Amino acid sequence: MRFQYVLSEITTGLRRNLTMTIALVIVVAISIAMLGAGLLIRSQADTTKGYWYDRIEISVFMCNEFSTGAGCADGAVTDAQRDTIRQTLESHPEVDEVFYENQEQAFERFSEQFDDSDIGGIITPDQLPESFRVALRDPEEYDGVVSAVSGLPGVQEVTDQRQLLEPLFRTLDGFQLVAFAITVIQIIAAVLLIGNTIRLAAFNRRRETGIMRLVGASNFYIQLPFILEAAIAGLLGSVLGVIALFVGVELIVGRFIAPNLQFTSWVDSADVWAATPWLLVAGVLFSMLASFITLRRYLRV
Amino acid sequence: MILFDNVSKLYPTQNQAALDSLSLEIEKGEFVFLVGPSGSGKSTFLRLTLREEKPTAGRIRVAGKDLHRLSNWKVPHLRRRIGTVFQDFRLLPNKTVFENIAFALQVIGKPRRQINRDVPAVLELVGLDGKEDRLPDQLSGGEQQRVAVARAFVNRPLILLADEPTGNLDPATSVGIMKLLDRINRTGTTVVMATHDQSIVDQMRKRVIELEHGKLVRDQSRGVYGYTR
Ligand SMILES: Nc1ncnc2c1ncn2[C@@H]1O[C@H](COP(=O)(O)OP(=O)(O)O)[C@@H](O)[C@H]1O
Ligand SMILES: [Mg+2]
Repeated sequence: MRFQYVLSEITTGLRRNLTMTIALVIVVAISIAMLGAGLLIRSQADTTKGYWYDRIEISVFMCNEFSTGAGCADGAVTDAQRDTIRQTLESHPEVDEVFYENQEQAFERFSEQFDDSDIGGIITPDQLPESFRVALRDPEEYDGVVSAVSGLPGVQEVTDQRQLLEPLFRTLDGFQLVAFAITVIQIIAAVLLIGNTIRLAAFNRRRETGIMRLVGASNFYIQLPFILEAAIAGLLGSVLGVIALFVGVELIVGRFIAPNLQFTSWVDSADVWAATPWLLVAGVLFSMLASFITLRRYLRV
Repeated sequence: MILFDNVSKLYPTQNQAALDSLSLEIEKGEFVFLVGPSGSGKSTFLRLTLREEKPTAGRIRVAGKDLHRLSNWKVPHLRRRIGTVFQDFRLLPNKTVFENIAFALQVIGKPRRQINRDVPAVLELVGLDGKEDRLPDQLSGGEQQRVAVARAFVNRPLILLADEPTGNLDPATSVGIMKLLDRINRTGTTVVMATHDQSIVDQMRKRVIELEHGKLVRDQSRGVYGYTR
């Protein structure tokens, strides 16, 4: 009986407010598509960062006999100094791995890089510095490692690629922030619109709800049909929104961006699939929550 | 059954109190007329009894419950023990007579078995058997009010509140409604009826409570509408 009653209330309610219901579905669809796009932009920025982070390392160059500078007052780095530097690096909590490159290896790499030019002929291995290449546990945390070895005797220079990539990361952070802001605004707009729609539905049915209150129906019973209506509209809307997202990713990223820009891996429909359950749940929950809050204000005992 | 102890009600937008230090008690099974000119506070009294409004000052007890201490979520349970009838019937126009009455039981979660048993019984009590499939606009005013009374009574409330139930009806039809309310009162239900209708009050010879500007000016058992007439 109760179930049948609730079901018939919902269907008549949805039919009677057909235009409002359609509006609600469209609003939720747009919001969910935007929310999904925001999430995809976030994960795209994360993938791009990860792609570049994996390539970040710190180089600790050590003195050779030609070096000048504060750390190189005693000439080329001694075995004792080199061991101290290695121990400092290996015992540092932020350090993941340490590779040693001696002067011969440095010369080989140097020669490879400048294969065609004449410089290869002029430079000899003993003019190049030996170095430690350091991979970090968390690429964001390079300051500690740099300052730990910078002042040590035998260290000529410490460089980190993080500085080079800083502008790229700042741009990506900016993208994430904008995507986040758009998402938040969109959710607020959606909640307000859903609330307004439900308020209208409640107003249209004030005669019924008035009688319900009078004969002692509980708040839950009075509000349930409205909340379920919102949930159904929310579900329909989020399904449409997710479909729009699939189409958008396929057309814009799959056909256009990914084939042309190959410096990182791009989001694809697998990422949309992964986000789908969350988007559906979010669409339904936000719709129910918005209607619940509205009804608390407009359908009081 | 209903106890008002020094109750005052001042609506936020008004500067004169709708009820002013009103104290009275209505016993179980009584039939009470609430009379007084328009704006004297009759409807306010009924709304306070239903806990649709809260008093500005004073204490109200209804059906053994102290309304001041009754939490919001328990208010529906209070209202299930009170039936209400209004001048304008308040029926749902797109539901039949049967459905209108069944609605009151459905929304408080009564099972179908009980609805199929109680609705025909109450329709017979109010003299509308055979008209259960009519829509409200296929009924006369008096018949519509009978549906409203049936809806108010179908759950066998302790109290029946009626706010000018004959206000829209002609005298002959009004007599029929009064007989119905009297019959309901005889089942032990306390009936409180706000009215303007002098001849009805004079005929029934029940307790009369008269308000003026929210104050109690007369409380008389077996009374008439006014002294001067
Ligand atoms: N919801 C309300 N808001 C403000 N004032 C009200 C409200 N309801 C009634 N009043 C005022 O309270 C007084 C008593 O009204 P009411 O109880 O309806 O009297 P009656 O039913 O005897 O005509 C009147 O002055 C009226 O204007
Ligand atoms: Mg009134």
